[in-house]
Amino acid sequence: MSFLFGGGRPQPSSAEKIAAAEAEIEMVSNMFNQLVDTCTKKCIPNQYREADLNKGESVCLDRCVAKFFEVNVKVSEKMQGEAQQRQGGAMGGGGGSMFG
Amino acid sequence: MAGMGGLNAAEQRELQGRMEQKQMKDFMNMYSNLVQRCFNDCVTDFTTKSLLGKEEGCVMRCVDKFLKSSERLGERFQEQNAQMAAQGGMNTGR
Repeated sequence: MSFLFGGGRPQPSSAEKIAAAEAEIEMVSNMFNQLVDTCTKKCIPNQYREADLNKGESVCLDRCVAKFFEVNVKVSEKMQGEAQQRQGGAMGGGGGSMFG
Repeated sequence: MAGMGGLNAAEQRELQGRMEQKQMKDFMNMYSNLVQRCFNDCVTDFTTKSLLGKEEGCVMRCVDKFLKSSERLGERFQEQNAQMAAQGGMNTGR
């Protein structure tokens, strides 16, 4: 993810660079926490009959992660698409990429 | 990680320090979520002050299960993340 757009812009200060890196890490970390919350609610029933994950729960968790990412991508693409439409095709990259 | 490339040694140390703080905070959050979840799901009987045997067993299994699923989710998350990075993000080629 590039947080230096185009030329002619002064070099970001130390604090800005650290803040930007921190923000990116925080975004990924928040996403992971949301993922854990959602997928454990959806996949782990609350009976706790045994301490290990059974096959069904494991498979559910795997699929949950894959779908979560896919939803993330699709929502992001759609929002970028709409932003581009609104700006009439002008630089719509303002939405930023998630992991690039 | 994209951000780390543009930082000098001092900046990286600063970032590292903040990340450690954040990890502590995240761990504490996870801990309290876990307590709340396992209490809600397992403890239902208030006729006595101490935990019933079955409630205690349930809580232990709850913690085990939750930690194992967090671990598994972490692994899958990293795999997916790596896959996305390999595909070059979503903005290229548009």
